[in-house]
Amino acid sequence: MATHRNCDGHLRRDFIQLGLRGAMGMGLGMCDLLRLKAAAENAGGGKPVNCIMIWLDGGPSHFETFDPKPDAPADIRGVFKTVPTKVAGVHFSEPVTKLAGVFDKFTVVRSICHKDPNHGGGNHYMMTGAPTPVPVGCGAFVTFHPSMGSMVSHTRGVRGGIPPYMATPSNTRSGGPNFLGGEHAPFVVSGYPNSDAFRVSDVVLPGGIAEGRMQGRRALRGALDRMKRFNDRVTEDPAVEFDRFYEQGFDLVTSARAQEAFDIGKEDVKVRERYGRTDMGQRFLLARRLVEVGVSWVTVNWGGWDHHGGLADAYKGDMLKTLDQGVAALIEDLAERGMLETTLVLLLGEFGRTPKINPGGGRDHWPHAMSVLMAGAGIPGGQIVGATDARGYYAAEDVYRPEDFAASVYTKMGIDPHQKLETAVGRPVSLVNDGRLIRELFV
Amino acid sequence: MIRFSRLPVYAVGLCLGGAGLGDAVAGLVAEPAELRLRVGERVSFLITEKGADGFERDVTEVVAVKMAGVAGLEGVGAVRAGQVGEGVMEVDLEGQRLAVPVVVGPAAERVPTFAGDVLPVLGKAGCSAAACHARADGQNGFRLSVFSFDPKSDYHQIVRGARGRRVFPSDPGESLLLLKASGMVPHEGGERLAKESDGWKVLRDWIGTGMVYAGEREPTLERLEVIPAERRYRKGSVQRLLVRAHYGDGTVRDVTALSGFYSNDKQVATVSEDGRVVVEQVSGQAVVVARYMGKVGGAQVVVPAERELGAERYEGLVVRNFIDRLAYGRFRALGLLPSGECSDAEFLRRASLDVLGILPTAEEARQFLADGDPEKRRKAVARLLEHPAYADHWAAKFADLFRPNPDRVGVKGVFILDQWLRESFRRNQRWDEFVREVVLAQGNTHRFGPAVVYRDRREPAELTTMFSQLFLGVRLDCAKCHHHPNEKWSQEDFYRMAAFFAPLRQKGGGISAPISGGHETFWGGGGGGVLNHPVTGERMMPQPPDGPAAVVGEGQDPREALVAWMLDPGNPFFAKAIANRVWSHFFGKGIVDPVDDFRLSNPATHPELLEALAEHLRAEKYDLKALMRTIMESELYQLSSEPNETNAGDVRSFSRYYRRRMGAEMMADAVSDVTGVPSEYPGLPAGGRAVQAWTYKIESRTMDAFGRPNSSSDCPCERNMKPAISQALHLMNADGLQAKLTSTAEGATVQRLAGGGMTPREIVSELYLICYGRLPVEEETAVAAAQFGEGAEARRRAVEDVLWALINSAEFVFNH
Repeated sequence: MATHRNCDGHLRRDFIQLGLRGAMGMGLGMCDLLRLKAAAENAGGGKPVNCIMIWLDGGPSHFETFDPKPDAPADIRGVFKTVPTKVAGVHFSEPVTKLAGVFDKFTVVRSICHKDPNHGGGNHYMMTGAPTPVPVGCGAFVTFHPSMGSMVSHTRGVRGGIPPYMATPSNTRSGGPNFLGGEHAPFVVSGYPNSDAFRVSDVVLPGGIAEGRMQGRRALRGALDRMKRFNDRVTEDPAVEFDRFYEQGFDLVTSARAQEAFDIGKEDVKVRERYGRTDMGQRFLLARRLVEVGVSWVTVNWGGWDHHGGLADAYKGDMLKTLDQGVAALIEDLAERGMLETTLVLLLGEFGRTPKINPGGGRDHWPHAMSVLMAGAGIPGGQIVGATDARGYYAAEDVYRPEDFAASVYTKMGIDPHQKLETAVGRPVSLVNDGRLIRELFV
Repeated sequence: MIRFSRLPVYAVGLCLGGAGLGDAVAGLVAEPAELRLRVGERVSFLITEKGADGFERDVTEVVAVKMAGVAGLEGVGAVRAGQVGEGVMEVDLEGQRLAVPVVVGPAAERVPTFAGDVLPVLGKAGCSAAACHARADGQNGFRLSVFSFDPKSDYHQIVRGARGRRVFPSDPGESLLLLKASGMVPHEGGERLAKESDGWKVLRDWIGTGMVYAGEREPTLERLEVIPAERRYRKGSVQRLLVRAHYGDGTVRDVTALSGFYSNDKQVATVSEDGRVVVEQVSGQAVVVARYMGKVGGAQVVVPAERELGAERYEGLVVRNFIDRLAYGRFRALGLLPSGECSDAEFLRRASLDVLGILPTAEEARQFLADGDPEKRRKAVARLLEHPAYADHWAAKFADLFRPNPDRVGVKGVFILDQWLRESFRRNQRWDEFVREVVLAQGNTHRFGPAVVYRDRREPAELTTMFSQLFLGVRLDCAKCHHHPNEKWSQEDFYRMAAFFAPLRQKGGGISAPISGGHETFWGGGGGGVLNHPVTGERMMPQPPDGPAAVVGEGQDPREALVAWMLDPGNPFFAKAIANRVWSHFFGKGIVDPVDDFRLSNPATHPELLEALAEHLRAEKYDLKALMRTIMESELYQLSSEPNETNAGDVRSFSRYYRRRMGAEMMADAVSDVTGVPSEYPGLPAGGRAVQAWTYKIESRTMDAFGRPNSSSDCPCERNMKPAISQALHLMNADGLQAKLTSTAEGATVQRLAGGGMTPREIVSELYLICYGRLPVEEETAVAAAQFGEGAEARRRAVEDVLWALINSAEFVFNH
């Protein structure tokens, strides 16, 4: 196969680039760094960028979404037609028709790949930018390295009592903080936001407690909490830090703006309809509301994308409708509200799927090619980055690795991907090991 | 570079708390007392003034020095030999004078070598740092090994790499290596070795003399000596360090200029790249580590408080056992006085939380407070240690270190190991037996808990890291890939330890077990399974770190030899490691902290005490409860958490009790207990408590908020006990907690108190006993009782709100 390339193989163009960079003595020349730094700062017009990451656990098919292969044989092409997008000459697959209609607002990278065909390892690699040091199984939930959300929490800290990193409805497999420490685990918003009874817990007053009663409790606590505090910093009195969190916590539950954001019932009915009246659609909407009120990173965890059989039926069904409608609505809504410049939107899973449809009508694990949607934070709209070969086997042009993806996301978030961190045993590790930026995202 | 043939005599052996340099009269002292050097060589010296106040002061930078004839001064605190002969260095400090003999011998006829001379220069210049040429892919095509762990490869890179263009033997000074290093041609790393500097000359001479890899009889570097080894300092003072390398043939070399330096506590002391220590404004102890060619040496920096406290301040202190005696000795040296004794209520709450992980009940608290027996604390300790809740609490603590990822070993394996841990603590298994069972584990992972450890840590290297950290308190992890940056551990040490596990055999379904996957069987012995050094390829024979080579008989399991070494009474790590771990459980910090990181650059705050605790544990045949009893009976354990005027800044020496927030399981159970409404946990039998949860997958928002460890995270980690915003939010607002307050179940605290006939004041007293193990003071009673309004509903609300306020207060959240 002429275009058989995988993550080991750099293309000729890459060699030239590497050679040039080599001559400058580092991964990137100084000019590049300065330019990219400026680009990151400008991404949000000076404001910090927040991120909504929609995680499709199991691995969505690139063929039936953003990288259709209409000219490939039928056992690769699949049953779906292609649809034109907002950009002339670019086609998506039928299940993402609505996204095709807003393609002017996002980039698709078709050429990210790695070599871990297991869910556990693939999750870890894409979620942290680091491969697992030992092989891990398919059912595995593992962390050896901090997730991007945890690192954002670690960098930004808590502002206004709002946990900086949230996940809904559950944490992802490798979305934990690892050595950054438990306080950087995501705050999990569980439950079913499409239900009228839905409430975000812990950040809002408990059911049955009105604000007046909470104020009374607050005053009572103030009067009864008489354990002496030692404010001198050298004493390292943990109760002093705890008080600070209580102050922030009280501010949060009494902040009308924050409380309204947590109450999805306050959203305009039309907007709720637009995202789709499903729990998942409403989670995308909730993510927007959380980011609006100051959460730095929201991961929407959506499992069940591991279609080893019956893929066509699944992609014809509600799952894709929910995804297509919800994500398109999210991107448009963010753009209309002027939030897209400061909100990075990511849509991906741990890998793509095998080109040949198996006898069960499914596609299996395929890390050699995957499509990743990236929008906002200065990322150009209507752009396709990279390409797979004619049959969708391998990322073949402008090949990027998970490290490159993570380095790019961190840079967009204003975090230096090359910084050194210390593990629990004091060992220095790079946040991202030799990640190159996906240049097309920084123009 | 030249070696001394004889060791000059130094004034060493300074002792803590004493007058310093013996009892000699005040005056100036030179170190070395006599300068012996060879032509061209540079040697550092120190001039120390012994003050009448018992402190020594480094005056090297302020004295006037006159040097005549054979050698010349070079910078501050160093001389360079000019010609063969003898002379005198005259030192003057405002009239105090000292004459230091200087003896210069002829330049040595010695060819510089790569291993002995070049590598130190490259190390000091930072070339072989991970940020420069020791990056995984090198830098600009030139790749060195991190901290020179692979010197042969480094030699090859320099001499033959890039087709030999890095060296130019016919005109050594024009070698690319030197042109780059000196910045004569553009070098991203800038000027690392100035032209004509000592380091530059070493490289030039080495290139010019045939680029020898190693000398024929290169003496081995045996140890580093740092001068002064231990000293007491005034805040703000400065001390230059001397580093001397001692070789196997008896020679000594001044390697100050080639050593790297590192301070373990930068609040107490900082150190510059050339070994100049600046003592900061905080009293305490620090150690400055010098490292040179894989060896390390330390200088203890002790900074007492300004105000010396008289001996009489220590005379009246309560000494209950050896712990107090040894701790007070350190306190005196540091100018610390212990805080006062904690109250009875604080003691009972503290001891119950530490031994059992549960709060004393209101009834237990009431009885204890009323008890007039002067021995009641001792008796309470004995009672707590026999309480059935002991086993779960301690098993859960050790589960943090052992509990494997269920996705790696299968759910059943996690459960089997968990049950084994609980059973072990239920019967108070001696620690040596515990370790023996774990290290020698063999058998089926569905039947025998410790075998699951081997299923989890599948590679000899993983077992090496885990066991050395858990059982020896030594982090060998760095040495897996390169020499430990601040310690003596080398890759040889790591893989010799790993070799103990190489012959281990396995049968059955391996990794990637599905959730209820199959089992595996492990067994040792029977020979086979060798382990080779990853760099040299040499076969590694089993040998413990700092221990003798193991003698393993034909067909014998080498792990037997490892355990025998661990349990040998002379083992320098084993007893201290567990004594320190148990100590940290009761005090919130280890005497060495982190508890699994014993090293020269991370010294014990009370070395004598740690030694004595280890000895005690050995004498008690590793009965952990015996050690716990001794710890809890000490006055030190019974100190208040409120600082006094001397110890507000003490966060390492245990002169006051350190507040700690309750752990995840403890908090979840405490909230259930004080509200009288148990939580239900999936995966546990009815009535199961949080501390009995055997996997992190058992759902609990409370435990998540309070930082229970997630065993999908890959490390045997101490858990994170920092307060977090999610904890405050959870206690304030959690629906689960609110439901416990509003519960109308029979045993629910609010239901019981609001419904009964107690007066508001009685209810408040009861709530204080339940939550804090004490009675409220009048002011508290008044505030809380004032919440009670007319009518049943208002009464109930008041009880709910007071209980809420007590749970949300620091006195509840913290063990204090």
